Amino acid sequence: MSSSEAEMGDDQTNRGFSMFLPVILGFNIASSPQSQEGDNRTVPEGFALINPLDGEMIVIEGTGTFDPSNREGPLPASKASIEAMPAVKVIEEGLECSICLGDFEVGGEAKEMPCKHRFHSGCIEKWLGIHGSCPVCRYKMPVDEGESGKGSDGDERENIGRRVEGEIRISFFFEN
Amino acid sequence: MLDLARVQKELQECNKQIDVSGISIKPKGDRLTHLTGTIPGPLGTPYESGTFNIDIVLPDGYPFEPPRMQFATKVWHPNISSQSGAICLDILKDQWSPALTLKTALLSVQALLSAPEPDDPQDAVVAQQYLRDYQTFAGTARYWTETFARSSALGVEEKVQKLVEMGFPEALVRSTLESVGGDENMALEKLCSG
Ligand SMILES: [Zn+2]
Ligand SMILES: [Zn+2]
Repeated sequence: MSSSEAEMGDDQTNRGFSMFLPVILGFNIASSPQSQEGDNRTVPEGFALINPLDGEMIVIEGTGTFDPSNREGPLPASKASIEAMPAVKVIEEGLECSICLGDFEVGGEAKEMPCKHRFHSGCIEKWLGIHGSCPVCRYKMPVDEGESGKGSDGDERENIGRRVEGEIRISFFFEN
Repeated sequence: MLDLARVQKELQECNKQIDVSGISIKPKGDRLTHLTGTIPGPLGTPYESGTFNIDIVLPDGYPFEPPRMQFATKVWHPNISSQSGAICLDILKDQWSPALTLKTALLSVQALLSAPEPDDPQDAVVAQQYLRDYQTFAGTARYWTETFARSSALGVEEKVQKLVEMGFPEALVRSTLESVGGDENMALEKLCSG
């Protein structure tokens, strides 16, 4: 009664469900690349099942997000763009790297992204190797199309993949 | 490797401002990989006057990977599983950024309590109820808050005893505590002024 699981056990729902199965029309609602596809996995992003008798629709999602701005998933920044970031001298005191929350050493160096946000070189290079956007303002760095998964960032990419693996949610929409 | 220095700094900063935000984070054991976050239910919502605990697990890759968070307190909300407490929130998934912190993530969870997104549900039954019958939804959410998220549910007898020892009659203490949602300081204020 208090959840989808409980309602699934409900007699009436079960009956509706089994009547429903033979007449399912399924279609894939995945159309654009998401994080998994970068990892060469074949899990569909999601699909919708519609009962033509009563318009009942079940949406099965592979990743659990419909936000169109997420469609690109985490792609690392290109090596060239990471290397092209200038090193700038830190002159002000009390500035902090927003990745490790550690202070910049006055007189030391920080890497500056095109959006002008500055980080420790080790911190920002590690992040851009996983996700090609500025941690603070989400400025998008250029990505290497063909290079995904290659090189030293392979491990990190795998971690990200594991994170979203197996997250399948089922949503029910009823239209009257 | 988990960036322990960062986590320690985060906990200090967060708990320093606990009076302002009402948000606290405490380690569960002696290691910093398992934590409990606490957020007050936002005012003007069915979660008002509730205190919600959130289980936090930090993966080795933190802060390059998002913290794993789920409600330990049962909550009735379209984007939170009424069964498992799993949270559907983009910044805990692919919109995570290492410039976010445990505190800002908890603030986002608190904001989610204020502004449900029923079109991207975690709990389909709750989302459906929210869309079709908001009054019933709000009633259920309030009931769950009263039942599971009231800090008064814990140690209420201790609070009663404490106030009775201060010289107030027990019946009055109980009714006053109840009227302020179990907050012993507010109850004391009311008892003194009344
Ligand atoms: Zn840093
Ligand atoms: Zn930036």
